[in-house]
Amino acid sequence: MTASALGYASRRLRRGWRSGELFILSLALAIAVAAVGSVDLFTERVRNALSQQTGDMLGADLLYVSRAPLPPELTAQLDAAGVKQLPLVQFASVAFVGEASALASVKAVAPGYPLRGQLRVSPQLFEPATPTDTVPAPGHAWADARLWQELRLQPGTAVKIGRIEVSVDAVIADEPDRGNGFADLAPRLMINSADLAASGLIGPGSRVQYTTMVAGPPDTIAALSTQEMGENVRRIAPTDARREVRNALQRSGQFLDVAVLAVTLLAAAAVALSARQYGEKLKDEIALLKCMGARQGFLARALLLQLGLLGVAGSAVGGVVGYGAQALLANLLGELLQLALPPPPLWPLAAAAALGCLMLLGFAAPPMLVARRTPPLRVFQRSEDVTGASRGVWLAGVAAGGALLWLATGDAKLAVIVLVGAALTLASLALLATLLVQALTPLRRSVGMSWRFGIGNVARRRASTVAQVTALGLALLALLLISVVRQDLLLSWQKKLPPDTPNQFLINIQADQVEPLRAFFAERGYPDLELWPMARGRLVALNGDAVTADSFPDPETQRWINRDFNLSWSAQLNPDNRITQGEWWGEAGRGQRLLSADEYAIERLKLKLGDTLTLDFAGEQYTFTVSNFRTVEWDSFRPNFFLLAPPGAVPDSVPAQWLTSFYLPKDNRALLRALVDRFPNITALDIEAMMDQVRGIVDRIIKAVEFIFLFTLAAGLTVLLAAIEGTRTERERETALLRALGARSGLILRGLIAEYAVLGGLAGLVAAIAAQTVAWVLAEQVFRIPYGPRPLLWVGGTLAGAVIVAALGTWSLRRVMRTPPRQVLQ
Amino acid sequence: MSQVSAVSARAVRKDVSSGGAMLGILTGVDLEVPAGQTLAIVGASGSGKTTLLSLLAGLDLPSAGEVWLDGKSLNGLDEDARAGLRAGRVGFVFQSFQLLAGFTALENVMLPAELAGLSDPQGRARQALDQVGLAERMTHYPHQLSGGEQQRVAIARAFCGQPSILFADEPTGNLDTATGSRIIDLLFNMNLAQSTTLILVTHDVSLAQRCDRTVTLREGTLHDC
Repeated sequence: MTASALGYASRRLRRGWRSGELFILSLALAIAVAAVGSVDLFTERVRNALSQQTGDMLGADLLYVSRAPLPPELTAQLDAAGVKQLPLVQFASVAFVGEASALASVKAVAPGYPLRGQLRVSPQLFEPATPTDTVPAPGHAWADARLWQELRLQPGTAVKIGRIEVSVDAVIADEPDRGNGFADLAPRLMINSADLAASGLIGPGSRVQYTTMVAGPPDTIAALSTQEMGENVRRIAPTDARREVRNALQRSGQFLDVAVLAVTLLAAAAVALSARQYGEKLKDEIALLKCMGARQGFLARALLLQLGLLGVAGSAVGGVVGYGAQALLANLLGELLQLALPPPPLWPLAAAAALGCLMLLGFAAPPMLVARRTPPLRVFQRSEDVTGASRGVWLAGVAAGGALLWLATGDAKLAVIVLVGAALTLASLALLATLLVQALTPLRRSVGMSWRFGIGNVARRRASTVAQVTALGLALLALLLISVVRQDLLLSWQKKLPPDTPNQFLINIQADQVEPLRAFFAERGYPDLELWPMARGRLVALNGDAVTADSFPDPETQRWINRDFNLSWSAQLNPDNRITQGEWWGEAGRGQRLLSADEYAIERLKLKLGDTLTLDFAGEQYTFTVSNFRTVEWDSFRPNFFLLAPPGAVPDSVPAQWLTSFYLPKDNRALLRALVDRFPNITALDIEAMMDQVRGIVDRIIKAVEFIFLFTLAAGLTVLLAAIEGTRTERERETALLRALGARSGLILRGLIAEYAVLGGLAGLVAAIAAQTVAWVLAEQVFRIPYGPRPLLWVGGTLAGAVIVAALGTWSLRRVMRTPPRQVLQ
Repeated sequence: MSQVSAVSARAVRKDVSSGGAMLGILTGVDLEVPAGQTLAIVGASGSGKTTLLSLLAGLDLPSAGEVWLDGKSLNGLDEDARAGLRAGRVGFVFQSFQLLAGFTALENVMLPAELAGLSDPQGRARQALDQVGLAERMTHYPHQLSGGEQQRVAIARAFCGQPSILFADEPTGNLDTATGSRIIDLLFNMNLAQSTTLILVTHDVSLAQRCDRTVTLREGTLHDC
């Protein structure tokens, strides 16, 4: 029986293909697989490239950091993996210039440093920096601006460290592996590793950090990233790199997920539409087969086999097209994206094929299986139809839609938000379409004949209008959603990094310098300089229990505990901080030993509100109670702190320093010289280079997103075409009849344009409203960016929907316009 | 020559391509149908009756020869010009009814009057539906009507635009004998009332006998019976 079902299924498929019945369904499936596959492939490549890009911020793809040279077995593993390795050594040492001295963080590097990214140096302080591929020659050194200022260096100044003297001949403007803990680190002095042994600074008991930089192909790096290691070695991946970059990457990842969701939804809509049309066409044939004795089981097997065969063929074609499309697009856009894309992995294609099969099961199988229940009586009376099956079709669609979204993103929350948005849209579209049918009826009496026909068609075909507006609205929703979110993403980033984002940090400001510094800046056009106090304390007890690094199992917390905490205090909450639990103390908290903890501190110390932390400030211990939790936007480039206390909570006896940040235009470097002359102990840090790097990455992400937006647009237009194609047969018959009855082609064309403009405008309006709602939820819940209503989008959505759908409908049905009237007699 | 004829055809040929060779469906048809006459075209299946009807109504163009509709030559007119000629002049009744599925009975009947730009198409449609006994079914869609009712709607539609010529292609072909007979009565009564020229294609001898004149299509040419 199955063999005969297979025979019938394959014959039916061949016939369906030849007659064009299955073309749309096959095309929809192939497009679904191609779209999802190519977007996933490309997204994966972009993601890999972006994470490789953050290797620029690490100086390598991976870092292995330890207090002793790497264990031989790990070195052997790295050798076996065939990755590029570059050792470097860092330690703290006092550097002398004559009588002057400063604590420096010495880094000994070998030629080839860094493996990723670039070192940028300038010949003198306050001069423009340029990238370099070299490292300090033996006997020479480069220092950062802070050390140049502290030691009053000049080009060629001899600096003594340990037993050697090195000649300083460049200012380090940017080193890729610097990290963002600048306030904790001593100024940099970079020497050649060949000078290390002679310095005599490395010996038993010395506190030295050994780092091995590693770079290699993504697969190898991925394998190394999960390898077991000993406790004494710490592995740092790009995702552990700077916090602000990590945030940017995370946000872009979510955005790309939304793009994939949109493509998935559109493809599913195309499959659903086509399958519904095919199911309708099957009904007559199934009724006839039943008259001839076919049973439901046979028909079910035959239909599912047809779908299976179609799934295999469509997925294969879609996979090939998808692979080709991503390769073509990567070639075309690789340069534009300014990203060297790694080779595409194949798994997204398998995943896309699985998604294709799921789409068939969820969206194509139900309407086709409903057709299986067509009563044989239909051969006599076409009005005999299947009833009571639509709920199952809808449920299957919703379940499959949810599963698709979840599979496409792996983010259940995002999937649920988009799915709820889509469901609400469907309901809104259906409701609005029904209302409009009623509203249009009187309207068509007062317009010209073409519009009367067009609007009349929309109004008279109530069920089909609702179905078409729903489909078109869904496609437009996805397009608008992408454009809305894209716009908001751009605006949000632009807001976060406006041109006057602080690019200079001043640290080591003493309490008695706060007011003179304010005055200094006020005289120079900075009337509102904000300064943040900071005291360094070490955590000694948590909830009254003494703690050390060993009290915490994970290495990251251990390292954090080992460092001093920077505790600041304020009565006002910075605008880039948001309270998530508890309440901000404001002025009322003054003098109380309360603590506000950021997410990082909460996660590391597993804090709960009411916990107490005892901090040791140079011998003075004070206990603070955690009264609220905060999230901090670390990519705002403003000073921020893991721990905050109210003013007066830390007694004046505790030594405190202050820090500030401000924006210094490039042509006003003289201010820095005046500052250093007036306040020699204050250190200025130029973070312009770091910001440029972040801006560059943001720019690249936006370009990647724009590319995926174009792809989503193409997928959306395909759904529109599928919806329009669904009406082709009916329209051919109608056109032939209208022409037989005397209608000229101009009238039919104008009627068609009017009909699709009304349909598109309707769908566009509802889609705009729904897109705003979904975008608002996404902005609030996922992206955490502010969002307000955009009424202009409603007008734009309506107009865009009308124009796009009218143009596409007319173009798609241009041949229908030429249907000869004699067809009515055939 | 055809000034007094509703429809004329002179040496009309229609060839179609079949398997690479040209097949002559009509090989030389001459016909004159005076205004107000009722004409039945009969012939075996596949003899080309429907092809001839489509040429006479201007739905298609002949391979050779000339056709006049209401005194106007169809030769050299493009599709749109022929459509314009039909609007308000020609009505149709089809074997398969050809009602628009998304339109109610009333909306289907209104169509020709709307296309001809006649005043009050809805009033005319209501009246036509009333005449065919479907005043109570105006808001029904085609799938809610029986075959006989659908053909009555089609007849109401055919007469709603007050055409001077009516073409009917096997109007009872999809109906049982009793229903078919009632439909034909209706068709002829309305035709008589409006003095319309009726050109009818049928297999049904009794139906053909009700017409003023019957011609048989055989081997591509017409023969008077």
